Amino acid sequence: MSRLGLSPPATLARSLGSDGVVPEERLGNFSIDGVVPRLAFCPTYRHEIVETVGWAAAEGLAVVPRGGGTQMELGNVPARYDVALDLSRFNGVLDYQPADLTATVEAGITLHELQRHLASGGKTLPLEAPLSSNATIGGILSTGASGPMRAAYGLPRDWLIGISVVGGSGTETKSGGKVVKNVTGYDLGKLYTGSMGTLGIIVEATFKLNPLPQRLQALTAGFPSIALAVEAANSLSGQVYAPQGIQVVDGASWLGLPADLSDVVSEKDEPVPGQAVLVAFVSGRVRAVERRLSEGADFLRMNEASSVRKLDEAGGRKLLGWVTDLGWERDSGHWLVLKLAVPPSMTSQALSVLPRALEGLPEPGTVADPGFGLVRLMWQQGSLDTTVDGHASVIVGAVGRARALARSLGGYVVVERAPLTVKRLTDVWGGEPAGAEIMRRIKENLDPAGILNPGRFSGGI
Amino acid sequence: MARLLVYYHAKFLSYFRRAWEWCFLVSSLAPGAAARFLDELKAIVGEEYVYYHPEDLLVYEYDGSIDRGLPGAVVLPISTDEVRRVMALCYREGVPVVGRGSGTGLSGGAIAPPGGVQISFSRMDRILEVDTENRTATVEPGVINLDLDNHVHKFGYRYAPDPSSQKACSLGGNIAENSGGPHCLAYGCTTNHVLGMEVVLEDGSVVNLGGTARETPGYDLRGVFTGSEGTFGIATCITVRLLPLPEAVKTFMGVFPDVDSACTAVSAVIGHGIVPAALEMIDALSIRAVQNVMDLGYPEDAGAVLLIELEGLQEEVEEIGIEVEAALWESGPTLVRTAEEASDRERLWAGRKGALGALGSLAPNYYLVDGVAPRTKLTEVLREVAAISERYSIPIANVFHAGDGNLHPCLLFDERQPGALETIIEAGAEVMKVCIDAGGALTGEHGVGLEKKELMPLVYTDEDMDAMRRVRDSFAPHNRLNPGKIFPDGTHYHPPARRPEPGLSI
Repeated sequence: MSRLGLSPPATLARSLGSDGVVPEERLGNFSIDGVVPRLAFCPTYRHEIVETVGWAAAEGLAVVPRGGGTQMELGNVPARYDVALDLSRFNGVLDYQPADLTATVEAGITLHELQRHLASGGKTLPLEAPLSSNATIGGILSTGASGPMRAAYGLPRDWLIGISVVGGSGTETKSGGKVVKNVTGYDLGKLYTGSMGTLGIIVEATFKLNPLPQRLQALTAGFPSIALAVEAANSLSGQVYAPQGIQVVDGASWLGLPADLSDVVSEKDEPVPGQAVLVAFVSGRVRAVERRLSEGADFLRMNEASSVRKLDEAGGRKLLGWVTDLGWERDSGHWLVLKLAVPPSMTSQALSVLPRALEGLPEPGTVADPGFGLVRLMWQQGSLDTTVDGHASVIVGAVGRARALARSLGGYVVVERAPLTVKRLTDVWGGEPAGAEIMRRIKENLDPAGILNPGRFSGGI
Repeated sequence: MARLLVYYHAKFLSYFRRAWEWCFLVSSLAPGAAARFLDELKAIVGEEYVYYHPEDLLVYEYDGSIDRGLPGAVVLPISTDEVRRVMALCYREGVPVVGRGSGTGLSGGAIAPPGGVQISFSRMDRILEVDTENRTATVEPGVINLDLDNHVHKFGYRYAPDPSSQKACSLGGNIAENSGGPHCLAYGCTTNHVLGMEVVLEDGSVVNLGGTARETPGYDLRGVFTGSEGTFGIATCITVRLLPLPEAVKTFMGVFPDVDSACTAVSAVIGHGIVPAALEMIDALSIRAVQNVMDLGYPEDAGAVLLIELEGLQEEVEEIGIEVEAALWESGPTLVRTAEEASDRERLWAGRKGALGALGSLAPNYYLVDGVAPRTKLTEVLREVAAISERYSIPIANVFHAGDGNLHPCLLFDERQPGALETIIEAGAEVMKVCIDAGGALTGEHGVGLEKKELMPLVYTDEDMDAMRRVRDSFAPHNRLNPGKIFPDGTHYHPPARRPEPGLSI
């Protein structure tokens, strides 16, 4: 007997085996916002996932899928949470056709492992995601995670060509296929991507791929302020030799570079808090990379950059990983993270008026992707005095003002990470999105029993 | 035939006329209600923008496919508000609705359901905004694909998806079908370029999906809407992403003695780690058709022509160009040509772009089948297609997107021959089965529509289609938008063979 008298059907338990059912004393590892599940399974086979969801549907048990657990803080507090389904062992490469530039994988494979496998055939999935050694393909698709080169290479939705999910009735269904061009039936892959597992548990995904770039390098350039760095980023991205990804990082966060990287990228004239660093990533053929680097560097020098450095392949890759992970590292102490998304042209305006909206909060760490209209604001634990009564309402007030500002610019704010006291006071997604009624009907139609990750998604789904 | 007789009858006997006009709507409305309904439509869009006389409706009976269906009425609104009111009215009266852009679709997507109202967007054709800072353009659904592309060139941008019908097809139709085109190999299809839409739902309510921000909260409704073939809603305002024009463009043409060696070249190019901007193939029969109408200077014995386009920085185009040329020469071509100047490149592309039109020099009709195979299986799939051609004694011309394995076998026939239409439909289904058996797809860019709905079970289980229908029911709970498309229901609109008017291609 497991926790609270709940146990899986005998056939399912037999198939999962002793190591497929998490012992009660370890269930705490699966808690979300303090809610501990009654059971947790680590299936190895597809039929175990199908049976688990079928059983949960029959019993009305809420199932929460989980990959590498890198983004479990994202979303509202679970409305119900009975069974954790850890898919990290369901992680095979089912089909890899380098000559067709396609690959089909099980949902639990990590992005890092997939890239390693693809590299053996000279191909790559041109996506980054935070904590890629742990982040799984299922989790990346469910959350729509992306990285610094999103403006050039797109989002997970753009590379997905086929998907299989186990829906709320415990039936596996597919959409799309294994060819790079396909409009047979509705493109449900778009719907599942970013749906936080509320419409179906992703079990299998097929991607189109790119040839592995011959080279990936980076440029860094110091600027007196975030505003000037963003301005430079905007004009650089309009050049024919524009890098594929441009990020702006605030000076204080930049000081948090690990030692092995800070040696490469900064010397005496390193930026200090209040200043900013523009980081540009360039990939492709060697000669084209070299031109993008050298013309990009010249351009930045002529546009107020105080120090410009070119990083080699090893340094560039390391920096790409660091920027991608910024704000997501589990032990970084980042305790409040806001994602602000606006039309790209509004990025600098948003950054210039944000401080007023965020009055009452200390200065945040900032990573901006001006070409995509994305800004991440990060606060370290301890930067706010949480012993003071009402600290949560101060934060919620600031978030509310930031939301009003984002709305006025055609965007929105998502609270990606926050203490429970804050999450209890606000919808992390920012209330009802446009089309909420259609979204609710989709949820009701694909998960009639309401058992898939209830309560954590936008619009109360 | 019977329908045509009635048509001519009605044309001359005017007192029959009103009864005939209304009988199109009879399937959904009683005669008195039909008259009132037409009056209400006229009150919304204006008398001159409601068509219901048979001779006016006839041109709305077909699209680029082999299916036909006469609408009950056609309305041509000018604004979202008019569309909204028309749809609310149809919803109230239980009349099904289908949107129509330019009617170039190849799967019957714009064919009206029986007794249905067709909303034509030919008057909603304004480019509303080009926003260079956000790299977007906002357009009405009737804007022609190429008009948008040409318009944004002035600002140094392009709209990447370029269906072969881009001179005529509309953005609204492109969204409905998730249209592709030669350059989708490198840049993705319509779905990768649509950011936001204003959509009217079946009950006439208006909802915005997506936006100028690159991601929006909640489910990706604009993503699943794109390619929903007009069954979820009708887009009345569309915001698309623009891409900067490339610094350098270079086009390569390889002439090969046969299709097999051209396929080998395709694999060689992709195998070199090259994804060109476009990689197209034209087979011998298509070459002959093109040569009938214009001299492209192709060698007489050309068995297949490959067109490859590279875009990017000067350095990339030069470096990759050397590899492309090498890959072409490895595969035994009889001729390789390159072009960098726009006018020279256009000359190389002329054969590809003019091929479908030129097929008219070989046969009165063609049935263009859209199927996808993994690109490494092109050789065997094309051999199977050739075998089908022989078995059915149907000439098949191939003009297609080789780089992404998207085949377009064109089955040539004469609709006036008894049984010809039935035979090519059967042969077309066999071609699609060959694609599916090779691990491919039923349609790469034309949609399922009426044409392929009965073949859906070849790729999807009942459960797969049930999930899709549930999503449709979430947008359109009463299934009033373009009903009878996409999913198998045992019905078909294939009309009886008739004498086509001169110049009428199906």
